[in-house]
Amino acid sequence: MQQPPSPLWTNASSRTRLTGTWRSAMPEYQDKPSPCRGACPVAGRIAEWVRQIELGDYYGAWLTLVDNNPFPAVAGRICHHPCEGACNRQQLDETVGICSLERFVGDMALAEGWCFPEPAAAQDQSVAIVGGGPAGLSAAYQLRRRGYRVVLFEERGQLGGLLRHGIPAYRLDKTILDGEIQRIIDLGVEVRLQSGIADAGALRALHAEYDALYLATGASRPKTLPELDYEQPWVQDGADFLAATNAGEACELGQRLVVIGGGSAAMDVARTARRLGRSVSVLALEPDALLPAQPIEVAEAREEGIEFITGAMLQAVESLGDGLKLQCVRVDFQQGETRGTFSVEPVSGSGFVLSADAVVPAIGQDADLARWDGLLDSDGPVVRTDAQWQTSRPGVFAGGDLASMDRFVTQAIGMGKMAAEAIARHADPLQPGAVAANGSEVPFAEINTDYHPLAGRLQPGNLEVEARLRTFDEVQHPLAQDEAIAEAARCFSCGTCIYCDNCYFYCPDMAIAKLEHGYDVKSDYCKGCGLCVAECPTGAISMGQE
Amino acid sequence: MEAKNYPSNRLLLSGNHAVAWGVKLVCPDVAPVYPITPQTPILEKITEFQSQGELDMELLTPESEHSAMAACISASATGARVFTATSSQGLLLMHELLHYACGARAPIVMFNVNRTPASPWGFWPDQLDSLAQRDTGWIQLYSETPQESLDTVIQAYRIAEAVGLPTMISHDAFYVSHSMEPVEVPSQDLVREFLPRFEPRYRLDTELGQSFGAPIDQATWNRSRRDIAAAMALVADAVTAAGEAWGELTSRAYGPLEQYRMEEAEVVIVTMGSMSGTAREAVDAMRERGEAVGLLKVRLFRPLPAEALRQALAGVSCALVLDRNYSPGMGGILHQEIKSALFAMSGAPRLHGLLAGIGGVNVSAEKIQQLVDDCREVEPSVEAQWVE
Amino acid sequence: MELINYNDEELFQPGHVACAGCVEALSMRVILNTVGRDAVATVSPSCGAVICGAYPFSATKIPVFHTTLESGAASASGIKRALLSQGKPDTTVLCLAGDGGTYDIGLQALSSAAERNEDILYICFDNEGYMNTGGQKSSSTPLAAVTGSTPAGKTTRKKNLIEILAAHRIPLIATASPSHLNDMAAKVEKAKALRGTKVIIVLIPCLPGWGVADNAAVKTARLAVESGVFPLFEVEDGVHYTLNTEQRTQSVNSYLAQQGRYRHLSAEQVEQIQADVDAEWQRLLWCAAGR
Repeated sequence: MQQPPSPLWTNASSRTRLTGTWRSAMPEYQDKPSPCRGACPVAGRIAEWVRQIELGDYYGAWLTLVDNNPFPAVAGRICHHPCEGACNRQQLDETVGICSLERFVGDMALAEGWCFPEPAAAQDQSVAIVGGGPAGLSAAYQLRRRGYRVVLFEERGQLGGLLRHGIPAYRLDKTILDGEIQRIIDLGVEVRLQSGIADAGALRALHAEYDALYLATGASRPKTLPELDYEQPWVQDGADFLAATNAGEACELGQRLVVIGGGSAAMDVARTARRLGRSVSVLALEPDALLPAQPIEVAEAREEGIEFITGAMLQAVESLGDGLKLQCVRVDFQQGETRGTFSVEPVSGSGFVLSADAVVPAIGQDADLARWDGLLDSDGPVVRTDAQWQTSRPGVFAGGDLASMDRFVTQAIGMGKMAAEAIARHADPLQPGAVAANGSEVPFAEINTDYHPLAGRLQPGNLEVEARLRTFDEVQHPLAQDEAIAEAARCFSCGTCIYCDNCYFYCPDMAIAKLEHGYDVKSDYCKGCGLCVAECPTGAISMGQE
Repeated sequence: MEAKNYPSNRLLLSGNHAVAWGVKLVCPDVAPVYPITPQTPILEKITEFQSQGELDMELLTPESEHSAMAACISASATGARVFTATSSQGLLLMHELLHYACGARAPIVMFNVNRTPASPWGFWPDQLDSLAQRDTGWIQLYSETPQESLDTVIQAYRIAEAVGLPTMISHDAFYVSHSMEPVEVPSQDLVREFLPRFEPRYRLDTELGQSFGAPIDQATWNRSRRDIAAAMALVADAVTAAGEAWGELTSRAYGPLEQYRMEEAEVVIVTMGSMSGTAREAVDAMRERGEAVGLLKVRLFRPLPAEALRQALAGVSCALVLDRNYSPGMGGILHQEIKSALFAMSGAPRLHGLLAGIGGVNVSAEKIQQLVDDCREVEPSVEAQWVE
Repeated sequence: MELINYNDEELFQPGHVACAGCVEALSMRVILNTVGRDAVATVSPSCGAVICGAYPFSATKIPVFHTTLESGAASASGIKRALLSQGKPDTTVLCLAGDGGTYDIGLQALSSAAERNEDILYICFDNEGYMNTGGQKSSSTPLAAVTGSTPAGKTTRKKNLIEILAAHRIPLIATASPSHLNDMAAKVEKAKALRGTKVIIVLIPCLPGWGVADNAAVKTARLAVESGVFPLFEVEDGVHYTLNTEQRTQSVNSYLAQQGRYRHLSAEQVEQIQADVDAEWQRLLWCAAGR
């Protein structure tokens, strides 16, 4: 019998239908910069190394960290952490404790004895670095790892600059500093201690000998107050005070100290003096809210029994047989437009008197530009540099407090890094510049907070006040490993792909392919709905226009 | 024709139980069934067979005929041999899915007991329920007796599976469904020989991965109807082949039409179902009196074997179509169908449409003889006439 | 962060014609791949039927039988019985349907299949209306929602299908959401291992039907879960309740505010819906506590 026609069964795959033609926009994986990175003075890949901590890859985290900063243990203690101020997470609950995480990794590296990777193949050029503080050491590290010969000239007998002479041990234990400096030296940096470049002639001679110079001599000249006679035994400049006490010298000042200044240095002086058994008052021009020191420093200083007299200035000092009478007056303080500038107007009739045995002014320091006798152009109180950190003298670069009024340790480390990159390009113009991150910083709105449950920040504890006043032990406790992982898990990883596979699993069109490391959008099928972007927990994907 | 040497068993059976015996012999894989008077004895009997282990079959008793038919279609699409039975309201409730079954080319066999559709409520023999389904794409066969019902159930699987179309067999409520007569029940071996295994090429099978029923475009839908038409064109031959093969095995042969005492007939009674039995009596009586009257029983109603009808009625001067159904505003459905089948036929018989036995009222053999006498010399009216 | 992970054997294919961003397609991907290759599905007329494929293409690698709107559970039963007769008791029979084909016209067949405890896995893609026909109300449409046939907002509540099904004492009834894919996959796994009738109701925020942005269906579904509007829970044997999300962390308004269909709500109406959700949540807690 004849066969009837077959019924209409379906057996072809819908793959034949290319739904990608529906699309008006396609997602793109961008690895966009996080706001913390933008705020970081060394442009550290914070989201990346914090993620590595979360995954337990501490060595990887350390390598990522030291790509931009050879001082994670130092920075983890004393960085002013603008990264945390920029952190998107504060719009959900609290910022991620980036600084304490950095310290966690930095300390682990020291404890484990991790070394930097071997430098790149030796280059022909050599660079002289003048100044062994954070900027100089950072530049030395970045140049040395690129294979340049680096000779570091330091005026004093030890490296570290402000880190060694200005930061008290209760904030930065010197063994930590020694460890991180030694690791840089171990890369093969040649060090010349007690070797200042004292004048223009010495600078010229040095430049003749090296392909490039990097000047990072810091700000060594204290600003002075006209109301004070610095010759008097009851006056000691803050920087000198800190250098002496950091060197372990005995303090000759009397029992009642007045520290003048509201910045970090003033806090360091005040708190060091407390540890030496002195009673301390801080006299600052700024009102409480505008004190330039970190709020945590001020809070800890108050805990330690330091009295704050803010919004006031010294007008005159009267020395009596049994002490000093400080004539002071309240002031109306107006902040200027640039950092460090301000105006004050004494409030008439608000005078008052402070009794003291000694005065320690800690109102800042200026760079010593005079020694080079006009060889380099200046820009106000600092050496003038261009966008490449090069001075008016080609081949001579400058950084740190010598070239900037920013006066933050990590700012100096960042400047050293950028100068090193510029010097490398100067030495070899064909060298690729630093890879800029894609696109603009990820705003909070691009983070899908559904994947980030509320969780308060883990604040490492502090040493008890009584113990602080007896010793120079570090005030801040480190994070334990489980705490570090928990804190790292709070990070949104803004703009950084964490390979969570959300984009793959949420795609209704099977249009995301998993690659060995990352993902690919299948343009044949992607309809451009943007679900992958919406469900990306880190904002690492964006819709691109087609 | 001599029957092959299979033993058979003669039982006194009602039409419905004869159907159940036919089902038992076929042994379908799946039977979704819902009860309704006067079909219920079919359901009960096959359930009894199944519960006693005599019928290895998945019996599914859903909440409605609609679901029963839905299950029939999908089970059939999965490659199962399927049976169901219904009547009247149940068949009407299935209507949507009758179309679906045809589109799915599911060779389901369904037994329908012809009963008046409500309202008002009635439980009487009337073929409107199944005839109203004539456009759903089902093959429709009408049975006159319990024996024919049993035989046709078995043949229907062979027909349905050969052409890939669902098949409905109907017999009249009570006149056939509940009346008892001796029925030859063939042996299982005979049925096994008659009915090949059901192995559809297209089915829901995880190894094959094919799907059915996805939305299609106009042209493809058009093609699906042409495919159905091509399958329908094969039905009459399939019915003949199955009927003849059955005859070889049982000496009871069947075809799309049955011509009874049609030799030289001047007047022919055309009807379907149980009415054929009464008409047979009337023909015998009239032939006894020397009147050239014959019976043309339509067994295959869909597809209507038009060519065979024309051949059978060629040379007949007068034909009476007895319809036990009424299509309101139109008349008897078989009458209309025969009329269209004979359209433009030269020498076509004068065709009388008679609405006889609507709602199950009795039409006796004597009444039929009277109708023949009344119509013999009269020009037929265009419209069907109600028989008082 | 909890990582999503479900097995993808590519049993659901790209090139299907779901709207861009449709989470019914997403849910189908999760469900089909979790059920695996040894499965046959029926699909009732719905978005799901369109997604499964227009002839001659199929988006599924498993066989799918397209059935009529009211017949889902009956058709699935027929397939299951046929497979049983063929000695394939382990093949999963899926019944895919929308809320129209489940809450409304398909309820009779579903109730009957549940009463017979047919061994099928019924998935209701609940987009709370007849969205494939352009968005008219079904008995699953919630109070106050605007649809094409409730232009001023629906005046009655959504039918509580879960309780209706629980009364059938079937082995498993569960809710699932495309915002909780691991939970969805786990429920499918669990259902697959059970014999008898299993029903999973998946909430599908419909982009055009609910007035939700192309990229926001997952977010909307998540808010439905987190606000308690659509709690994730399971009912075993009709009596044992387990809540899968034990806390509500969002207000109902945060969910409603995502959607165009609720744009007209007054503060009083929002309050009323919140009160309804609160009461139902309390009832669920009571059920989960063993009554």
